[in-house]
This record gives sequence, C-alpha cells and structure tokens, in this order.
Amino acid sequence: MIEVCITAAQTVTGLGTGLDPLFDGIMAGQSAVVPVERFATARYLSPNACCVPGVEAGGDSLLYPLLERLMEDFPAVPADCRLLLASTKGPVDLMERLQRGEAVDPAELAMERVLSRVAGRCGTTGPALNVNAACASSTLALARAAQMIALGRCEAALVVCLDLVSEFVFSGFSALQALSPTRCRPFDRNRDGLTLGEGGAALLLMSRERARREECKVLGVVAGWGAANDATHITAPARDACGLIQTVRQALARAGLTTDAIAAVSAHGTATPYNDQMEVTALRALFPGRNLPVHSVKGAIGHTLGAAGGIEAALALKCLEVGVLPPTVGLVEPDPEGVGLVSDAAQDINGDFVLSTNSGFGGVNAAVILGRGDA
Amino acid sequence: MSAYLNGIGWVTGTGCGMGSQGSELIFADLPLPALARRDVFAEPNQRFGRMSDYAKLGLAALAFALRDAGLESWSEKRPFGVVAGTRLGCLATDLDYQRTVLLEGGGLASPNLFAYTLANCFLGDAAIQFGLTGSLLAVNETQSAGLGALTMALDQLALKEEPVVLAGVCDLTPPEPLAGVAQFHPGAAFLVLGDAPGQRCYGSVSVAADGGIECNGTRVESMAELIAAALKER
Repeated sequence: MIEVCITAAQTVTGLGTGLDPLFDGIMAGQSAVVPVERFATARYLSPNACCVPGVEAGGDSLLYPLLERLMEDFPAVPADCRLLLASTKGPVDLMERLQRGEAVDPAELAMERVLSRVAGRCGTTGPALNVNAACASSTLALARAAQMIALGRCEAALVVCLDLVSEFVFSGFSALQALSPTRCRPFDRNRDGLTLGEGGAALLLMSRERARREECKVLGVVAGWGAANDATHITAPARDACGLIQTVRQALARAGLTTDAIAAVSAHGTATPYNDQMEVTALRALFPGRNLPVHSVKGAIGHTLGAAGGIEAALALKCLEVGVLPPTVGLVEPDPEGVGLVSDAAQDINGDFVLSTNSGFGGVNAAVILGRGDA
Repeated sequence: MSAYLNGIGWVTGTGCGMGSQGSELIFADLPLPALARRDVFAEPNQRFGRMSDYAKLGLAALAFALRDAGLESWSEKRPFGVVAGTRLGCLATDLDYQRTVLLEGGGLASPNLFAYTLANCFLGDAAIQFGLTGSLLAVNETQSAGLGALTMALDQLALKEEPVVLAGVCDLTPPEPLAGVAQFHPGAAFLVLGDAPGQRCYGSVSVAADGGIECNGTRVESMAELIAAALKER
C-alpha cells in the first residue's frame, strides 16, 4: 500500500477564506450564523444560516465565485492529478432561477458541466468524478482519492468540496422539521436542530514519493478510511449507531491502528437530536472508558452539506499541527452522555491521529483518520 | 485487478431483465417502462409506491442484478457496497420538488420529495431492502458514464473493503429543460462483482494497465458494451 499524504489544504466558510481565520474564529467562539438575505424565510422554521459574505453570483451560479475564492491562493495543481468533486446539489441556485422563469442555460445544471468547469479552474486534465453520498460526500471523496493513490492508480488527486445555502435545501430541512429556530447547539442537551451553511474545501493528495519529488511539505497523512451504511432509514440514523461503529472500525483496520492511537474526534455534530445521540453512542462504544476530545464545527459555520467533511478534514490538519481541538461553538450544557467528550472550551490533542466522521441521508457513514504531517 | 461478474440486472427502454434471461440489446432509444411494485417484487412493498421515479429505477435494477446473482434474499445484513454512475442523478426529482417550493413561499414544500433529492438516495432504499451495509455512493462522471463507477468498485474489491460490490448506471430520461442537451440512452443496469465466482458467473471484469476496462478479455468503452461482452461469453 502506498502512503497517502496531504500537501495542500484550503477552506472558505462563513468565517472567511483560509484555515487560519477558520481555526482562530472557532477558537474565539465566533459564529457565522446570521439572518439569510438570499431568499425570504418567513414560512420556514428558521431565519438563519451561514453564508459566505461578499460572494456575488453575477449571472452565474454562486458556486463559481465560491470556487474562485477557494482556489485563489491554492498552490499549482499537477496536471495529471485526478479530480474528485464533492457536491450534493452543485449549482442549485441556477435550477431555482430556471424554475422561476429566468434565462438560464439548462446545460449548466448537469454535474458533468460543473466538473468540467471545476477541472478547468483547477488545471486538471484527467477523468473527474463528483461523489454524492449526501452529507458524507467529501469524506467519501477523500477516502476514494486516497484509495486511488494507495493502489497506484494515480500519484496525485485533488478533492474539491463545495455546497451552497439555497432555498431548495433550506425549505427541505424546514419541511423535515430539522432546522434550529435560532442557532444550532451541537451535543447540547437542549439542541433543537441544525443550521445550514455554505462553504468549500480543497485538499491536494499525493503519494509520499510524489510529494518528495514535487518538494511539497506534507501537512498530514490519510492513514485510514472507512464507509458503511446503516441499512435502517432514509433520513434518520440508526439509533444503535451500527453503521458509524462499523465505519470507524474499518478506518482503524485500514490504518493499522487501535482506538488508543486516536487523540481527538471531529464529529459530524449536526445538532439534530437523533444524529448527535447516535454519534455519542458510537463514541462510547468505540472508546469505552475514555474521555477523548470531541468537537463539532457546525455551531460556528453551519452544516455545509457535501463540503462538510472536506472543511473538517482540513481543519483537523491545522488542529494536529497546533495540538489543540477548538471548542464546540453553540454548546452550552452538554448532553449527559457527551459529558467529558465535548466542550465549549478548547481541548489539548495528545497524540498523532484525529478521526473525522460524517453521516447523512440514505444511511451513509464515512470516516477518515488523519495523521500528523511534517514538523 | 479483476473481479468475477456474478449477476446482471437492468431496467431500460427494452424492459426489465437479468443476465440469465439473455438479451441482444439492453440500452435502446425507447421510453422507460412505468415501474409498478409487482414488476419488481412479488411481495407487497410499502416503500416502493412512495419513491421517486429515479429511486424506483435504480432500486429495480439492483433487485434484478442481485436476483440474477442469487443474492436477493437475506436474513442478516451484508457488507456489500454499491457504486452508481449517473449523468443527471435525481435532477427530475429536484425539479418536481422545486415546484412545491414555489408555492406559498415554500410553506408547501414536500418533505417526502425532498428526501429523494440526492443522487444516492435510492441506495439508502436498496440498503434497507437488501440489507446492504457496505459503502454506497453515487458518482457523476465526465467520461464513459458507468466505467468510473466500475473502476471504483473494482478498487474497493482490491482493497478487500467488501466481498461484493455492485456497480452500474442509473438515469431517467432527461427532464424537459435538458431534453435537447443531455443525449444518452436512459435506464439503469447493475453488475454484481465479487471476489469469488458465484452460482451464475459471467466471467471476469478487470482494469487494464492503462486504466481501461476489459470484460472477459474484450476491451469495452461503456456499460452497454460490457454487458454485451459478458452475455456473449455466456
């Protein structure tokens, strides 16, 4: 098996462009949750979301200025790099406009067009794929990119993760009674639903040998990955956390690690009652007797859907570098089962590996284990 | 890197079918059949009638593929994976759902339809119906729809992530705004790939050194060509 390294990582979220504003903002307890101005919210459960400020669509989808901002300071990407996009709804704003009778080229709705445009902007020329596994899309894209490199199918892969705040998705979660009326409170005993967000992440993966040849600094390694389905419900997680437990065990086996090696967890932590309960159940089963540091970023930047796992993985690299797991913004009083795991304060990371997990509609669960990079 | 091809199932313009029934032509420029539960499952199925057309199409093709492989019945959940290639995914469902959002300021948005506005959602139905607990995902591709999904499935088998992975394609007829833009034969077809030969094995599928796909030694450029090569061998 070929070792898989991450040589570049970038994010754009409601807290700004770049990992430093994201990390510093969460450390300071900031939240990007604000009233939505993009569409009327009077008939929905919540008026709030985390939009990326200052992004203008012009006549195009907001996806592309978001991509532009994401890639602005990203290092050059090898042309032979494979592209894996992770987006659940792509240019959903264009579909909304088309349905309202505005002049929109329908071809722009097809994901293959999106892939072509992303590849053009990023400078990749080979085959490209968009991974759709609901809110675990980017974690699975990372896993599949690592899989391709590990098997020697390619030497480098770029994972780009993007999703927008749209009325389409907002109305759906509202109809499902899943939106918090105010701001989400991950792992809180009084949590009352999620807050949507938008954002993006870009992660460049290379084999260790390719990274050495390109003289790239290694920010971290993708040590292991896993994915499993609950096979229980379309929109709700399995109460016994069977899928997530299987996923993490698979990732540990791939990494050749035991649970003792995991120093911290970047959880999905959407703040819906069922999701967070399921995650705590999984963590208690996987790490019995241990109070390892766990956090969720959703209270700070919202649930960014298909981009969530990419943003969280990029942040995890920063956390490993600094040795600190930021607080769970929005958490006031931990759910009794989560006491000792989650905190409204930063927690030290004493070890070399962070576990990052996501779950989503369709019973999907995915996990990656990220290891420390070059000092 | 190769795997055994142990089952084939499809729903296309030529109708519903399985590899064991044979066929000269799978994908054709014909309208897709309107699927009813009895076309797919002998027993009553409470969920099927509530699914989107895209989900019904994908679930039905997966059912026929598993049936062909003798793997439809189960008593304990199984770590089988699925990789579904799709050009337009659930875009038709998206448009239907969006029409409900336009009414009453979004106040009448349909939660049931929203649950089907992800390209991978029918895989969740398949997981429940067939007890599949592996990695289930949908992929959109820029080249050779279906073969990228197939390569990914073969990779999963090579890494021994699952003993069985289903790979295939699933697309409805392009909805009106894209009717003139997206040109392909609609339908769904899935292959059951395993690390060991099954009771009805159609030979092998492999990734060549240059990344191309071969079925029983014949180079193929599409899912339709692959199925034709497998059935010819039989």
